[in-house]
Amino acid sequence: MKRCLREGGDVKPVARLTQRLTARGTALLVDALLVASVLLMAQFLWLCLFVPVAGTPLPSARDVLERLSYGALSGVAVLLAAAWQLWDRSPGTAFAAPRGHSAPGKPWDETFSGFFLLIFVELTFFTGWLVTEVDLHQLFTNFHKAEGILRGLLHPSGAVLFEGLILLLQTIYLAFMATAFAIPIAFVMSFMAARNLTRKTAKARFLYVFVRSVMNFARAVEPLVWALVFISWVGIGPFAGVLALFIHSVASLVKLYSEQIESIDPGPMEAITGTGASLLAVLRYGIVPQIVPPFLSYTIYRWDINVRMSTIIGFVGGGGIGYILKPRVDLGEWGEVGTLVLLIAVTVWALDVISARVRERIV
Amino acid sequence: MTGTIAVRVSNVSKVYPNGVKALDRVSLEVAEGEFLAVLGLSGSGKSTLLRSINRLVDPSEGTIELFGRDVTRAEGKALRALRGEAAMIFQQFNLVKRHSVLTNVLTGALGRVGGLRSLLMSFPDDEVAYARACLKRVGLDDRASSRADALSGGQQQRVAIARALMQKPRVVLADEPVASLDPALRHSVMRHIEALNRDEGLTVLCSLHDLDLVTRYATRVVALREGKVVHEGPPSAFTKALLHDIYGQDAHFDHEEVLA
Ligand SMILES: Nc1ncnc2c1ncn2[C@@H]1O[C@H](COP(=O)(O)OP(=O)(O)O)[C@@H](O)[C@H]1O
Ligand SMILES: [Mg+2]
Repeated sequence: MKRCLREGGDVKPVARLTQRLTARGTALLVDALLVASVLLMAQFLWLCLFVPVAGTPLPSARDVLERLSYGALSGVAVLLAAAWQLWDRSPGTAFAAPRGHSAPGKPWDETFSGFFLLIFVELTFFTGWLVTEVDLHQLFTNFHKAEGILRGLLHPSGAVLFEGLILLLQTIYLAFMATAFAIPIAFVMSFMAARNLTRKTAKARFLYVFVRSVMNFARAVEPLVWALVFISWVGIGPFAGVLALFIHSVASLVKLYSEQIESIDPGPMEAITGTGASLLAVLRYGIVPQIVPPFLSYTIYRWDINVRMSTIIGFVGGGGIGYILKPRVDLGEWGEVGTLVLLIAVTVWALDVISARVRERIV
Repeated sequence: MTGTIAVRVSNVSKVYPNGVKALDRVSLEVAEGEFLAVLGLSGSGKSTLLRSINRLVDPSEGTIELFGRDVTRAEGKALRALRGEAAMIFQQFNLVKRHSVLTNVLTGALGRVGGLRSLLMSFPDDEVAYARACLKRVGLDDRASSRADALSGGQQQRVAIARALMQKPRVVLADEPVASLDPALRHSVMRHIEALNRDEGLTVLCSLHDLDLVTRYATRVVALREGKVVHEGPPSAFTKALLHDIYGQDAHFDHEEVLA
């Protein structure tokens, strides 16, 4: 009985009071911050969208940030937060409560982490708006500046049609060659990059990490950058484009292929292993029959992507239709640009349809 | 007389990387020509035991010998040669689905037929002839050029038996060979495995969950529970009462849901 009294009741009432007050204070602070950030965000959007700054026709995000009413909104926020406290289920209360940080099984809006996530998303959006210099005012008022281009695109000129068709053919072949070179290399490497085949020995595990890392690097570097590398290596022209897309295709195909290998049914592989077959025979009969259809499908898809990418690669001198597109964009010959863009669009669309059809058949 | 020991399992334990102890100091001898049934509830370690014998699973401890040769320490060519001696039949058949029935049977020869040609699906004429003979043995010679996945489950398992025969093994490891088949089809498949034992003189180790099948086909039975051998003897000794003693009242041995 004595112990019970000591722990539960009259000992150190002052300490318990301060404890309570800090909890309340923390809760109020958290709620106030939350509410203030929501209010400031609302005002920010309001200023950006509806209240252009006098004198400067285009208010930048930075200007708007300077015009926010921090003091007033903070005051309002504290008041609202206090009101929220009385309601007693505010996120601040959840934060200040001893075990309230994450309560499994509770609805998200009654836990602190739920609200933390909300603030995080909100702040990210807020920051993104600043960083990307979103300017809705320009977007809605300056359409006339782009009108010329759009009109040109809608009235394609026949002047570059022939040259465009020839280079379009080159683009398709460029993509094809890049894919063709990539297939055998990606095929062999994908076995080394498949987790289920590289678990047994330390050497195999090393190979896995090595191949995966090299491929991740090759994939992380944009094909455009590879194009610049190969243009200075083998000179301007479609071959540089082939090489750039080749590297990128190998890296992507190894990823797709090896993921496919990882998802095979291990049964046939074990059955072949059990016959005493060599490693190559196990791969040939236990794995290859299972992966051929998806591999074909991925490969066609890759060719499709390569056609799209090669137009961009051409912009920097990697051959194909992009090569003659760039100077016309620079000179503002929008009619000719329109012709070329149309050619590309039709090709990409056609290839898309064809590759989808073929892939449907295979799988 | 006591024949040659085909399989000798000595003190074998297996702990999987996730910490599950699937086998716990299992010791067991199988004489050449025996038909040994391995009995046990799901998870008792039957598959692990059979797969340790051809090293689809690496035992953590102990040794396994196939006709006196140590499997557990064999590597490379020696391991492949030992695997060639023991043909495995799986519950899920594990055929190469997109290949023809004949090609599937021919894969049984991959242990002895190597080289580039075999990778291109071109096998020596005598092997092809032997594969056809194996298919005839299981009554599927007319389906040689069908795709494997076009066959019914029972037929696929018979192709797997032909593949095992193709391997020219001395031991057959059958892991629940009829568990995924219609009960009506079970005997038709079991009879082919029995023929391997009776006509070819092959030693058979076969895990089963159906007591009727055990009494009908096995010459000896070992019972596993939680990775340990808990009973061993002739099939006649394995009455329902004994099994209830070993596995508890809830184990119904004629329902695969309980014993798979
Ligand atoms: N690859 C594996 N990794 C981890 N645990 C496994 C693996 N294979 C089997 N096990 C576990 O080992 C035990 C024995 O499994 P298994 O040999 O398949 O038994 P059975 O064939 O009698 O059903 C089970 O508990 C199972 O979950
Ligand atoms: Mg099993």
